[in-house]
Amino acid sequence: MSTSVETQRGTAPVSKPAKPRLSDRARSERRLGLWLAGPAFVIMLAVTAYPILLAVWDSLFQYRLTAPDDRAFIGLGNYAVILTDIVFWRDLGVTLLITVITVAVELVLGFALALVMNSALKAVRGWLRTAILVPYGIITVVSAFAWFYAFDINSGYINHWFDWVPGISPDLNWFADGPTALFVIIASEIWKTTPFISLLLLAGLAQVPGELTEAAEVDGATWWQRMSRVILPNMKAAIMVAVLFRALDAFRIFDNVYIMTNGAYGTEVLSLLAYRTSISRLEIGMGSAISVLLFLCVIIICFIAIKLFKVDLTGARGGN
Amino acid sequence: MKSSPVRCRLTWTIISIVVIIYALFPVASIFATSFKIPSDLTSGTFLPNTWSFTNYEEILVGDAQGLFLSALRNSIGISLIATFIAVVLATLCAYAIARLDFPGKKLILTTALGVSIFPVISIVTPLFNLWRNIGLYDTWLGLIIPYLSLTLPISIWTLSAFFRQIPWELEQAAQVDGATTWQAFRKAIVPLAAPGVFTTAIIAFFIAWNDFVYGISLTSTDAARPVPAALAFFTGASQFEEPTGAISAAAIIVTIPVVVLVLAFQRQIVSGLTQGAVKG
Amino acid sequence: MPTDARHTGRSRARTHAAAGLALAVGATLLGGCSSAEGPPALTWYINPDDGGQANIAQICTDQADGAYTIETSLLPSDAGAQREQLARRLAAGDDTMDIMSLDPPFVPELAEPGYLAPVPDDVVERTTQNVVEGALTGATWKDKVVAVPFWANTQILWYRKSVAEAAGLDMTQPVTWQQLMDAAASQDKFLGVQGARAESMTVWVNALVESAGGKIVENPDAPADEIRLGLDSEAGTQAAEIVSTIGKEGLGGPGLPTQTENTSMIQFQGDQGSFMVNYPFVWPATNAAVEAGTLPAGLIEDIGWTLYPQVNEGEETAPPLGGINLGVGSESQNPDLAYQAIECIVSPENQSLYFTTNGNPPSNTEAYDAPGVSETFPMAETIRESLQLSKPRPQTPYYNEVSTGIQQTWTPPSAVNPETTPATSSEFILAVLKGEKLL
Repeated sequence: MSTSVETQRGTAPVSKPAKPRLSDRARSERRLGLWLAGPAFVIMLAVTAYPILLAVWDSLFQYRLTAPDDRAFIGLGNYAVILTDIVFWRDLGVTLLITVITVAVELVLGFALALVMNSALKAVRGWLRTAILVPYGIITVVSAFAWFYAFDINSGYINHWFDWVPGISPDLNWFADGPTALFVIIASEIWKTTPFISLLLLAGLAQVPGELTEAAEVDGATWWQRMSRVILPNMKAAIMVAVLFRALDAFRIFDNVYIMTNGAYGTEVLSLLAYRTSISRLEIGMGSAISVLLFLCVIIICFIAIKLFKVDLTGARGGN
Repeated sequence: MKSSPVRCRLTWTIISIVVIIYALFPVASIFATSFKIPSDLTSGTFLPNTWSFTNYEEILVGDAQGLFLSALRNSIGISLIATFIAVVLATLCAYAIARLDFPGKKLILTTALGVSIFPVISIVTPLFNLWRNIGLYDTWLGLIIPYLSLTLPISIWTLSAFFRQIPWELEQAAQVDGATTWQAFRKAIVPLAAPGVFTTAIIAFFIAWNDFVYGISLTSTDAARPVPAALAFFTGASQFEEPTGAISAAAIIVTIPVVVLVLAFQRQIVSGLTQGAVKG
Repeated sequence: MPTDARHTGRSRARTHAAAGLALAVGATLLGGCSSAEGPPALTWYINPDDGGQANIAQICTDQADGAYTIETSLLPSDAGAQREQLARRLAAGDDTMDIMSLDPPFVPELAEPGYLAPVPDDVVERTTQNVVEGALTGATWKDKVVAVPFWANTQILWYRKSVAEAAGLDMTQPVTWQQLMDAAASQDKFLGVQGARAESMTVWVNALVESAGGKIVENPDAPADEIRLGLDSEAGTQAAEIVSTIGKEGLGGPGLPTQTENTSMIQFQGDQGSFMVNYPFVWPATNAAVEAGTLPAGLIEDIGWTLYPQVNEGEETAPPLGGINLGVGSESQNPDLAYQAIECIVSPENQSLYFTTNGNPPSNTEAYDAPGVSETFPMAETIRESLQLSKPRPQTPYYNEVSTGIQQTWTPPSAVNPETTPATSSEFILAVLKGEKLL
């Protein structure tokens, strides 16, 4: 297998050596490369592949941590229970809803921020970047608490500030109802992660050839025309990558929900279900099965994105 | 924008203010909360009626001191070590990817990508069981290793991109001038690569600093519990009273390093995250 | 009587010191150089409080006179999270689990797989005298005492005298939930109950079901697939009627679906406060706020207390029981010393100290007679009476499933339907216990 990869790599222009080398030298270079890259590769694989295989194995058992003697092999029994339970599908629905809304809003917001950062005057650019990077660097749990305390019926001020908005009054209990609780959860998630998407888009924006936009401007194209005909089409790859990365990230949402509602009133997401089952209930078997399903969901999303939308992850990210 | 410079400036001022408010408001919100005394918490106002340092006193010198300071020590220690290891390994790996010809490059990059999109919660349970069996549960190492799964992939990607842009001819030129391989590397390449490595370190640190799931699942005492997990351990005067003030104060303290790093290195972080695609 | 108690206490302490010395010598002989490291350090896993347990740990370390030292290690503030941490460490065979502060409902789950070291008979005998019955039940599994009762908590009915008077309620007589709901409605005030989807919901439902003469779990000793629930019963329906009425008619205020012990206290202290079921921490917390000047001074005068309300007039109430029992991990390296330390910790003196400084009521009735108790807690007598009547939550190894199942089906209170909720929650919990449903 390694030889076939090697021959492919050998013909790839990017990594082609500047000048032909002696085969001795090539061999030692290859050895050095493997030695340098090996440890990182092995660690990445060890901390993810091994545990997930363990999870697959555990998921075939009925196994509760506080009743170790009752451990029993039940095949796919756990999966049958999960997949026929409305709770799983409800949580999957909530997770997808959060994913779709956050990604959609963040795409628009992140694009706006990227435009601002891209064309801001030198004088304010540093300030803007600093401000935008604060949410990026802040701890998600801190963000969750900040939003939670602001909206909470007891400690919050949002109800008092916005009581002129129809539907908002000092008596509105945001976390007592699914839709309103999800609103705050999504808001916190968006605030915290938009900088990431906007930086990816900023990278894409910088790759749009300046001559094209200038030419369009000279031809009298309006701002909107320049945007939709020149800039966006040229950023397609960057947008796709940003969307996929954020979608997968949003799909794993946990911290915000855990802090704000702990899944109460229809706000439970898949990560939280997995956590509650395996860590809180100590049902290792069932919890592992949910973890495996969550992992499969991520793979499916990735597969759809790459096959259907032809997102080239390796090309647009890291490449130049 | 062909409008007059004055109008242009005004527009930008307004845009900047809007963006800055958007970005900083929640921080300001929890900042204000952290100065409220318990009865102020229910006043429904943004700012405290009386500014008080009680909450900071509680977590820094008061009852919650042991809890918070040990968590802070764990967070700093674990994040720094995880960052250091990730950056060292990633530098070696990225150097090899950018510079050397060897089989499996694409496999490594794809693996890094796969690991970075991995649902953390999926491996928490098996890791928990594994750590219990081999005695890594509730230890620094027990968090450092999983943190590598978060920090390594992005470090490898960012650094490979950096390294690809380095003009390696310099190294060859130095070698021609009689320097050894190591000298050439140190004199010509290290100064060019250092900013990239440093930026990667900041990004990796943010990621390790942010972790919550591993923190609550793989620790159970102040031997290894990091700050985000410790926030759930605060309590008011009795177990039933809510520690809103203490949590807010702790939240502000753990945000300070983030703000300092961002203030000092915003340019490097932005270019690091956009793979050097943005010009000054 | 007090003299006697003090006498036995002192002689007990002496025997222990001797036993401790013997053990220490034995340990030195067996363990070789371990003596160079000083006395064995016992780890006490404590639930968060106002520093009281750490204080007692210090007191007992001093009294042990070198036989052992006690170090405390903090658990999370949420009862469920405490259980998680302990269960995970115990399952991992951690040998530092010397002393654990355990919430009573979770004792069976830890006792059943043998995670708790057996309590020596003489320790049982010495530590269970004068202990309120509910607290003892909470420390018992399959007719054996598996943990030592430390402190016991109970909810009492707090009321604003002005509101009770305006509503014409005679608070010297036992009151019913119906009376409270009527009074709150007529005065346009909010009732203080805990309607959040949290452990406090199970506490409430259990108290209502027990007060109505029912039981949530009828055979708590049974294995998971044979458990029978008593929710779908007359008592369950009555409980659901109360929860549902308070929810649907908005009697609990807008915060009800997220109302915890703390937030219901805040509501009670405010203008909308009327009646509230809650733990004794309310008293020191309210006094502290009044002293800090953040609540009006007249508030304290307006607060009255009595026993938890009845469901059916004339039928004795069954107030909630909480508190902490102390258990010893079966893998502990020093179980004997741990039990010695526990005997010191739960001494009536320490219990009353803990009560007056941290507001957590003693499980030992004797500790209520200590000087200072009735000054700090004028309602101490009501608390003791309430503890005598209190009923623990179901003592089953599957308590977590039962409780979480109740929390999910009985919240928000406004969605509770007396006709269907008891039955659906029963079915749900049983399915979860059989492994047929997710929780």
